[in-house]
Formats: sequence, C-alpha cells, structure tokens
Amino acid sequence: MGKYLLRRILQMIPVVLGTTLLVYALVFALPGDPVKAMFGDKPINAAVAAQIRAEYNLDKPFIIQYLLFLKNALTLNFGNTFSGQPVIDEIGQAFPVTIKLALMAFVFEAVFGVIFGIISGLKKGKWYDSVILIVSLLLISVPTFVTGFLAQYFIGVKWRLLPVTAGSDPGFLDLLMPAMVLGSVSMAYIIRLTRSEVSSNIAEDYVRTARAKGMSNRQVIVRHVLRNSLIPVVTYLGQDLGALMGGAMISETIFNVHGIGFLTYQSILKGESNMVVSIVTLLTLIFVVCNLAVDMLYAALDPRIRYA
Amino acid sequence: MKKRMLALAALTCSLAMVLAGCGASNTTGSKDGNEVITAFDTEPQNLLIPGNTNESGGARPGTLLFAGLVSFDAKGKASNEVAQSIESNANATQYTVKLKPGWKFSDGTPVTSKSFTKAWSYVANVKNAQKCSSFLSTVQGYDDLQKAGSLKGDEQLSGLKDIDDSTFTVTMSKPDATFPIKVGYLAFAPLPESFYKNPKAFGDAPVGNGPYKLESWNHNTEIRLVRNNLYKGNVKPKNKGVTFKIYTKVDAAYADVQGGNLDVLDTVPTADAKSFKTDQNVQAYNQPGSIIQMFTIPSNLPHFVSGTEEGTLRRQAISKAIDRQGIIDKVLNGTGTQPVDFTSPKTPGFSKNLNGKDNLVFNAAKAKELWAKADAISKDNDKFTISYNSDGGNKAIYDAMVNSIKNTLSIDVAADPMPTFQEFRNAVDKRSIKGGFRSGWQPDYPSAENYLFQEYDSAAAHGSGSNDGDYQNQKFDQLMDDAYAAPSTDAANAIYSQSQEILLNDLPTIPMYYDNAHGVAAKGVKNLAIDWQNLPVYSQLHK
Repeated sequence: MGKYLLRRILQMIPVVLGTTLLVYALVFALPGDPVKAMFGDKPINAAVAAQIRAEYNLDKPFIIQYLLFLKNALTLNFGNTFSGQPVIDEIGQAFPVTIKLALMAFVFEAVFGVIFGIISGLKKGKWYDSVILIVSLLLISVPTFVTGFLAQYFIGVKWRLLPVTAGSDPGFLDLLMPAMVLGSVSMAYIIRLTRSEVSSNIAEDYVRTARAKGMSNRQVIVRHVLRNSLIPVVTYLGQDLGALMGGAMISETIFNVHGIGFLTYQSILKGESNMVVSIVTLLTLIFVVCNLAVDMLYAALDPRIRYA
Repeated sequence: MKKRMLALAALTCSLAMVLAGCGASNTTGSKDGNEVITAFDTEPQNLLIPGNTNESGGARPGTLLFAGLVSFDAKGKASNEVAQSIESNANATQYTVKLKPGWKFSDGTPVTSKSFTKAWSYVANVKNAQKCSSFLSTVQGYDDLQKAGSLKGDEQLSGLKDIDDSTFTVTMSKPDATFPIKVGYLAFAPLPESFYKNPKAFGDAPVGNGPYKLESWNHNTEIRLVRNNLYKGNVKPKNKGVTFKIYTKVDAAYADVQGGNLDVLDTVPTADAKSFKTDQNVQAYNQPGSIIQMFTIPSNLPHFVSGTEEGTLRRQAISKAIDRQGIIDKVLNGTGTQPVDFTSPKTPGFSKNLNGKDNLVFNAAKAKELWAKADAISKDNDKFTISYNSDGGNKAIYDAMVNSIKNTLSIDVAADPMPTFQEFRNAVDKRSIKGGFRSGWQPDYPSAENYLFQEYDSAAAHGSGSNDGDYQNQKFDQLMDDAYAAPSTDAANAIYSQSQEILLNDLPTIPMYYDNAHGVAAKGVKNLAIDWQNLPVYSQLHK
C-alpha cells in the first residue's frame, strides 16, 4: 500500500510539469499584446510600455519566461499580477471561496443525489420514481447558465427567498443558490447512476441469498445493496470534486462569487500567464489528489480490491 | 419503516440548511448603514495611483478620492477647486497657479505647490511607468524625462517651478490653452509626501484630498469610501459614503439592482437593453452622453485616399448610406443618439449646426449619386470590410451597418469580427487592417480638444497618438494650433467648431452614434444625476 502511494505521488511530478508548460505556452500563444491592451483606446507611451514589459519579463523569449516562472515557483514566489498584487495573495483570497462553494455543491449533490437515487431505484415504476427521473433529465438537458439565471430571477429577485448574488465575504446562505445551481447537473447524474445500480444489484443472487438466510430487509439493503451500488457513485463523486472547482466559473459569474473561476477568466483575458498557470497547477494537484483518494476508497468499499 | 427513515433524513438535511442560513442572514442585513450608497464597479486594473489609472474600474473611486486644481460640474464646466486662480500669459505658454489656503489631505498633511509639481513630475517620468504620462507631454522638460536608461525616477519637470507653498508656475513647451481644463483630470491630482516612500503601499491604501476617503479595499470584492471631513471643495456629499461592489458580470449587478442589493449601475447588460426602461423593479435613465462611436477609414486605403476627390466622395457616400436612426432604434433599443459632429452633446462648445452635418444623415439617393460619381473617376470593385472586436457586444451593430451600406449602395461590403480587443488593437497599431475599423472615444476631460487633437491632428498620427487612420490635413492642424494659443476657452471652442467642419467634409472617421449614458438605480434611490463622464454623480445620491 505504501509503495503504491509513493508511486502515485511520484507520478504527479511529470503531470504537473507537463501541464504548467502546456498552459504557459497556451497563454503565451494568445493573440494580442497584454501591455498594449492596458492602454485601451488611449495613446500608448512606448517608453512606458517598454518599462512595463521589462518589469514582467514580457520582453524575453517564451522559454526563458517559462524557466524564470519555474525557478521562482520553486521558492513559492509566483510573481505579481499586472496590478502589482502578489499572485499568491489573490489565489489565497479566491480559493477558500471556491472551496466553500464546491464543497457545498458537493454535499448537496452527494446527499440529494444518493437519496433520490435510492428512493427511485428501490421503487422503480412508482409515481415518485417517474417524477425524479423527469426532473433529473431536465437538469441534465438545461445548461447551467439557464438554470442559474432562472433561479436567480425567481428565487432571488421575484420571491426574495435567497440573496440575489453572493457578494463580498459570502456566508452559507449567500452561497446556497450558487452551490445548488453548480451541483444540480452532477446531482442529476448521481440520481440516475445510483438508481440503475441499486435496481440492478437488488436482483443479484447474493441479495437473494442474503434474504434466504433470514437477514432483515434493512440489513440487506444497507450492507449488501448499497455498499455495492456506491462504488461507481464514489468514482464519479471523486472526479467531480475537481470538476466542480474548475467548473464553478459559470455559477461564479452569474452570482458574482469572487472565486477561482472568475480569477482564471479575468487573468486569461488580461494575458496574465503567471496567474493562469498557478491556478491550473493548483487545480491539477487537486484532481490528482482526488483521484488518489478515490482509488483508496475503492479498497475500503470493495474487499476484492487490493493495492500493491 | 425504511421509507420513514429516508424521509426523516431528507427533512433533517433541509432543516439544517435552513437553520444555518437564518443565522447567516441576520449578520448580512446590518452590514450597511442607511446612508451608504452602493455602486457598481469592476476591479481596478492598477493600484489606485492617479497617474496610473486610465480605465473606469479605477477612475470611479479615484475621482472621488482626489481633488485637482479644477473640478467639473455635471455639464462638464470647469471651476476652481484647489486652485484659487490659474492665470495664463498672452499665448498660453506659461501659467501661474495660486492655491486656496487650508486644503489638507485626509491624513492631515497640507496640500502645497509641491504636492502638485512633484506628483506631475512623477507621472511624467518614464522610469515610474505611469500609464497617463503622455498627458504631461506639453509641459516643458517632458522629453528629458522619456529616456528610461539615464533616469532614477525622481527627476523633476523643468517647466514646473514652486514660487512658494501656495504658488507655482508651469511653462509649456508649446501653447496649450486647454491646460486649465486638463488639470481637472485624475492624472493631475496632488499626492502627499507619504506616496513617494512606498508607491505600492499607497496605491493599496490611497490618501487623497477628495470628497471621500478610503476606508477599506478588499481586492476583487469591494472598495469602501467614506466622507472626508477635511475636504472643502465644490462637491457637497449627500451621503455618508460610497461602497463600490466589484462585479465580474454586469448581469449579476443588474439582478442586484432589481433585488435592491445595489443602488446604482452605470450600464445595462445586453440581455436587458430592451426592457430596462420599463422594468418595474428599477429606476432607469437614458440620455445623450459623452462617448462617440465611429469607424475609421485609413487615409491611405485605395479608392478612399483622403484629400483626393474620389476618396472624399466615397467616404461621404458610405456615411450617407448608413441608416443611423434605424440602427439606434432597432439594434441599440434607443440607447444612442444620432451624431451631428465629432465630439459629443456633453462637450462644452458643442454645436448642432455645423456645416456639413448632412453628411452624417442617411440619404440613400444622395449616397448612390456620390458613389456613382466616384466610380466615374475610377471604378472600385474591391470588397470593403469593416473590422471590429467581437468581445465587446458590437456584432449586431456592425452587421446592421454593413447591411445598410450594402442595401443602399449595392456594393460588396462585409463586417470582419476579430475575437478579442487585444488582437484588434494589435492590428490597428500595426496598421495591418485593409479596410475600415471600429473606433470610439471617451473623453478624459470635457474639452473638444481631447477629441479632436488626439484623433485627427498630424502630430498624433503614425503611432504617436490616437490618430489611427493617419489623417493629415494642414488646414486642420493649423486650426488646432490656433485653438491652443486662443485667449479664452470660448474663443478656442469657436475654432474647434471651425475645424470640425473640415472633418465633416473629409470624414477621416465615420461617426455612427453618441453612446447614451444609460443605467439603472434601485427603487428608493434619490437625486440621480449623470455627469459628463456618463457616470452617476455618486456624491449626490441618497436614500
């Protein structure tokens, strides 16, 4: 187990190096000149522009810029944004907000997804099974930004049940609507996944055997059906946590949440490679760690799986 | 049994969410005092240093934090603020500035001559990489401060002399009659001594002499300003403070105004452009503003060469082929105004009756006639394209315009969208666009000079200014020089009107419409007025 862990952690190094190089190259390849854009439509003072280029190493060739970034990153210095703020500070401010948002969405989709999925799966064909299925289909087929705007207009503006936007220093209630919108699509997938797993497992031989041995219905469902049904659900959830962090952008812009998605978007527009690369590296790490955690959870859920 | 258990689990979950939520909502409710106005803003692109602030995200709070020598009223008329008097010599090459006594920065230190002269030198000095440095270009000694290699950053402009604590003189390198107006622009704000010790820290927590002072700046979230009791200028704030909430998307801000969470938003998202004027949840405003939208036809474009008969005919034909009012009504939903000149209705000296303003009016028959005349000189079979950046919501406007020209003149015209503003600006700077391209102008200070010199004077052509079409006309240049040396603002404005009649004939750019100042305020916000910059007069708002 320990050896396996070590191997997985070592694998992260090339993954992270590869992504940073790729992303740095992509931002560099963006057409247009970030320094010129800073002046907008107004006349550019060439000497001032040159001064700014030198300050941010923008006058150097690509590979030098990248190596300089790497060298500084090793000492945990991720550089400054064009407005002079340390990149690490801006990320440090935006990240907790996104984590909060993503975790809320995660809990929302996991709890409601699994519960509705089980209800649906155990009572296939009943009227509430049909309702749950139709609602989940709706959530999957309608894009998040539509769900978001609709929720904002009705729940926020019209009925005034929840805050319209999250704003500064968002609390639980401020983030509730964005989190539900963010988690809604994944929740629908989890409902469908859980439903089909539960309904197929319940017809398995080992369930029949368990019942024949005289186990109570509750024990059969919890110990045998659920445990087996949840393996693919956990896989999905694990990967989804990373996706929620990176995919929070739409939800964040609709509800004015100042998280990592917004920061990435802004930085790409401004051509701030340091910021974009730092964020993507962080997201890569989260993805890799989440996947590792999922693999570890498999072992706990399924005794047949062993790592060496 | 099992059914009940599941229902119970679901119930506890939702109950927990509601309970936790109630606690949070109580704290958010009491955050803002009644007299504090909340306003829309975007995160400033730079730290709040006046000379480095060249975009609206920083300018909104910046203009409230700093007071210059003069201030502008809502109509753009300049009156003395910190200045007691600004006196000019006969040909506008030297100014003597006297300051009013008793002005202080919000940290209590006095505002003296040095607060201005040292700050201006700092902005002009290229070593400090201030984005507004070229505004100082008419002050003597500016050129000496442009050689980055040999400068330390604290060299002073040789044209500025402190006579005493409340008097200084400014010597210009060439006549500049607009200087007494220019000094109202944010880049000319005074700075306290504490700035020079650590400009970065200052930019994060600026200390100014304006009607408001900074309480806190939570980056990417909000900028809180409160009334500055040491301020003694022309502005009389009617609220306790202004909190700028930072938004990433205008749509979210609009929803907040509808929901009563934001008091004022100085723009309207595209999705609501049709309905905002009749939206029951907000107060809307929509009036002619100071921004003019145009497109430039490069002066050397084949068949459109400026100064030639053929070129002039074609420019006029294109201009007359655009159904501006139709586009304003249908595409802009009435948030624009038919143009009659090259400045704006909010510019002091604006005239509706310039010779040649007919060239900006849709006239299909006349357009066809002019184009045929031009074709008689030399047949033009080239495709005419108009480029624009498609990230700014311009697509519908340009499509409509191209269609209007195509239908009127029956020629091959196409819109050429470029994905981003950066890319678009790059192409404009490289002069690589072989056709017309979008241009627009938002003034920095309320003067016709700011529109006309920057965009059409030969001195601003070929990369040294914003004359991106490289228009050159000696008669026009001469009038610009005359206006700079004019004895008064009114005399200068008369000359600017004259110069615009040349432009109305030559059409170096084709004016399309004045952008209306339009936006929304929450129900219950009182005293909504719009200034010459198309922004709400924040200090006058109250609830």
